[in-house]
Amino acid sequence: MTLAATVFRLNNPFFLNHEMNPMKTITNLFKLALFIAIGVVPFAVNAHHSTTMFDRTQVVTITGVVKEVQWTNPHVAIFVSGAVKEGDEPSLWLMEMTSPGNLIRVGGWSRTAVKAGDKVVVEFFPLRNGGKGGALKKITETQTGKVYTADIFAQENANLEQSK
Amino acid sequence: MSSKHIIQFVLRFCAYSLVSYGILASSAHAQEKPIINRAPVAKDYADLGKLPDWSGTWNPNISDQFNQVNTNMPPWKPEQAKVIQFQLAEEKAGRPAPLFTNCLPESMPSWALITHNSIEFLFTPGRVTILGESDSNRLRRIYTDGRAMPDDPDPTFHGYSVGHWEGNTLVVETTGIRPQTYLAVSEAVGVPNNGDVRVIERFHLAGKDIMHDDIEIIAPNVLTKPWKTTREYFRQRARKYEIIEGVCLEGSFSESKDQAGNDIFVPIKYDVGGNRIPPQ
Repeated sequence: MTLAATVFRLNNPFFLNHEMNPMKTITNLFKLALFIAIGVVPFAVNAHHSTTMFDRTQVVTITGVVKEVQWTNPHVAIFVSGAVKEGDEPSLWLMEMTSPGNLIRVGGWSRTAVKAGDKVVVEFFPLRNGGKGGALKKITETQTGKVYTADIFAQENANLEQSK
Repeated sequence: MSSKHIIQFVLRFCAYSLVSYGILASSAHAQEKPIINRAPVAKDYADLGKLPDWSGTWNPNISDQFNQVNTNMPPWKPEQAKVIQFQLAEEKAGRPAPLFTNCLPESMPSWALITHNSIEFLFTPGRVTILGESDSNRLRRIYTDGRAMPDDPDPTFHGYSVGHWEGNTLVVETTGIRPQTYLAVSEAVGVPNNGDVRVIERFHLAGKDIMHDDIEIIAPNVLTKPWKTTREYFRQRARKYEIIEGVCLEGSFSESKDQAGNDIFVPIKYDVGGNRIPPQ
């Protein structure tokens, strides 16, 4: 099976249910492991995903500096160099968010609301797998005190400008 | 048989043949004749003013989408129900199925069911167009010029839609949807529709700034019976909430410079769940 075909099958929800042959299942799982292990993730694989890979029962806070903002659809990302505990060696963290259009509606964001170099405190729901990333919950610019949130449900009213 | 009868028979045969040929020829001619969409006139544009005001940006009630996964699940066939239960468990465990991570359109009717982004309505003579925010290739053309649904429309991601107005309600029928596209109730829960899908929608205002899309989905290859649901949208008029371009594949690239100093896109890596890979 080609890599492309493997990717297609991995994206097919019937993959795990129609493959009743145990050997085929094992073979495919091996291919999945290989696929991840070698890091050959085609750039077409992205976006439009559920967010349950983040643990919404936990909130982690880091203090640091924004390194880069990727204001892109369908998910905005912010890279922050920071530490969980004061005095710890800072490391780079990746914060995922919803789309630019949704962020503008939910929390007063704009493309330039948060910029590289801004000192920030970030609250986020961490990745369940322990990676240095999470779903941003709230970001506070320490110098200006400005606060931006990223709750996608915070836009569920008509005429939002009247309530924000 | 006398010679007189033979002559009568031959003449009748010739007459019938000519008539038959004429019918066939005119029929063929009619089939080949292209249907021309007439040019709109001033009255057509004036009549648009009699339609309800659906201007503005409409963002979906996402909470209700999520709630209906628990309260109004489609009547899946047993084979599909197994997949759905598996996907629900996987999603709950933090391993959501990557149904839409390839950036292909969510398609109809999933676009109407699960989108987290805004839509807008455009009225032009003989047509309503729905444009979506989440991908620049997301649009629906709904023909309201009185045409019939084609017998066998070419399958597409958003199908072929014919609509008509019943008072202030836009009634839309959609068929011709690609069988490979998902009938999904969330971004991680859905199955290929397997063809023969028909969608009936009734768009109407449920309040001054609330839109309801009452949807009936007939999907005989994956559902045991037609399924009904309603999706809700909120109107925004503030200019800052207007729909902005949203190209799905944009997120697969980051901005960079080449050696000559040109601004370029460079692909970035994602994990299988669709997230950028965090720094190691």
